[in-house]
Amino acid sequence: MLALRVYSWFLVRRLGLTLLTLWGLATLVFIMIKMMPGDEAQMAAGADASAAQIEAVRERLGLDAPVILQYLGFLGRLLRLDLGTSIVTLQPVLSDLEKVLPSTLELVFFAMLINLAVAIPTGIVAAHRQGGIFDTICRVAAVMLGGMPAFWLALVLQYLLGSVWRVVPISGQSSFGMAAPVVTGAPVVDAIIALNGPALLDAVHHIILPAAVLAALFATQIFRTLRASLLGVLRSDFIMAIRAKGATAGRMLTRHALPNSLNPVLTLSGTQAGAMIGSAVLVETVFARQGIGAYMFNAVAQKDTFAVLGSVMFIGSVVCLVNLAVDIMQLLVDPRIRAAQLGSQSQ
Amino acid sequence: MTAPAITAPASRRRSYYSPFEIFVFALVALLLLAALFGPLVAPNSVYNSDIANSLMPPSAAHWFGTDDQGRDVFWRLIVGAQTTLLSAFLVVTLYSLIGVTVATVAAAGPRWLDEGLMRITDIGLALPGMIVALGFAAAMGPSLQSAVIAMAITGWPITARMLRGIMRQTMEAQFVAGAQVLGVSRWRLMTRHVLPNSLDVLIVKWAGDIGTTVLVLASLSFIGVGAQPPSAEWGATIAGARGFVSTAWWTVVAPGAAVAITSIAFGLLGDIIQVRRDPSLRGN
Repeated sequence: MLALRVYSWFLVRRLGLTLLTLWGLATLVFIMIKMMPGDEAQMAAGADASAAQIEAVRERLGLDAPVILQYLGFLGRLLRLDLGTSIVTLQPVLSDLEKVLPSTLELVFFAMLINLAVAIPTGIVAAHRQGGIFDTICRVAAVMLGGMPAFWLALVLQYLLGSVWRVVPISGQSSFGMAAPVVTGAPVVDAIIALNGPALLDAVHHIILPAAVLAALFATQIFRTLRASLLGVLRSDFIMAIRAKGATAGRMLTRHALPNSLNPVLTLSGTQAGAMIGSAVLVETVFARQGIGAYMFNAVAQKDTFAVLGSVMFIGSVVCLVNLAVDIMQLLVDPRIRAAQLGSQSQ
Repeated sequence: MTAPAITAPASRRRSYYSPFEIFVFALVALLLLAALFGPLVAPNSVYNSDIANSLMPPSAAHWFGTDDQGRDVFWRLIVGAQTTLLSAFLVVTLYSLIGVTVATVAAAGPRWLDEGLMRITDIGLALPGMIVALGFAAAMGPSLQSAVIAMAITGWPITARMLRGIMRQTMEAQFVAGAQVLGVSRWRLMTRHVLPNSLDVLIVKWAGDIGTTVLVLASLSFIGVGAQPPSAEWGATIAGARGFVSTAWWTVVAPGAAVAITSIAFGLLGDIIQVRRDPSLRGN
């Protein structure tokens, strides 16, 4: 009973914060629209719209009304999931983005897998032999990778691995004629649904390098956090007791030290999942992949400002919702956070 | 009898700074020199195209080769250093000012104002900063100026949140209680006593901030909402050279390496300053 009350209290507060953030985001996007130079109706209708079309848009967006009414109208349209219309595809921005979102989520999923699969083992080994050669190499690599622009890393690796050594495909999400029929829009998932082995291999082959590039930046953060956290745990008394009992180094690390140092890593990887969706804009376009980042990039290039701002609203909302989901999952996974919530409730 | 010498012999005196620290200082100093004086010493060919010499590989005459317009890549980087670093300094200064103002007003004002400002800060922290900055820059019309303004209005929440926390700690110090007893007004207490004694956190933070700002600025320019192509800004240079990566790799590799080196150098400078202030962090 008590646990249930704690959960619901946490959920109510966390949902409240999410709604507040979404409202703040909407307000920012409205300010952006008002900051646009020139006639808003002209921008929304496109450069070669007729005077009558522009007037129709002005009417529809209520641009003759006072700003406060325009703001309320804008919020109302958002509540009806209207993110505006693209002047390039002539489709609602939301329906454009919905089509490419699965592809981005798949990229982020693979990037997160690579991120954790690389950063956690290296973090453990580096902390175990603190100051050793491996530790030093990893720390230098983390500093270097952390300072590299993601889009540049993407371009250079694409050139080296894709066109010089030909280890991976240069770009796209599948080879010509290999793709499974589109069901979700995420190539790997589609290939699994179609039970098509070659298509699956092909799609994975195409996603590895983009996902690795996206992961690189984030892996340095996970590595540093886990290493610092492990170093703290390894100094504590219970580790010495475990070693004294005769546990091997491997068992001591994986069964005792690691579970006690994973908490900050979990928190960080949660925020990273959201940040990765935002960073996809830097990677997708280099590899000519579909996705919300590539959509936004093209909208910028074609001066489709309403599509850009619609994408900002969309990506911001997805990030908020992902963060909400991660927080709820953490609550379910980690008893210590439950305890903290219990404490804050009784205050 | 003379007093024994208390200094060690010159040969055994060790420098206060480690070789690594000196290396980082030198790197940052070089970057600053390039940014300050680069455009003054750069040859004219940086601005004029020379199609006959386009896409030449690195040589003695052109250390990093030439780009598609036949301009010297090395000297364009030096000229671009000014644009890039000046913009980054401007962004960090502007958002630090906003952050300091928000934190001070929150600390000095009534409780509802403090709560309100900190909730707004929370909203800012919860949103993906680069995407929101991208939106602002795209709305104002893509240009370097737009990108700088956009990053200034989206970058402040971390500073505000951090400084507000530090100011809260400072307010518990004895000298603050003393000033209160003497009847100093709340606003004056905050601006003259609490704020100056909390600001050193920003001194530690700024170098690392420059490093990340250089990265984000280059990213915005690459996406197309920052500096526009003829500019020598590094991100815009990479965007412009993108199509030549397979025929002339140096046109892409050099400006990206410049971004990476600058970002890493300022990041390391930030780490050094932090460890110097709090040696217990050493080794982590």
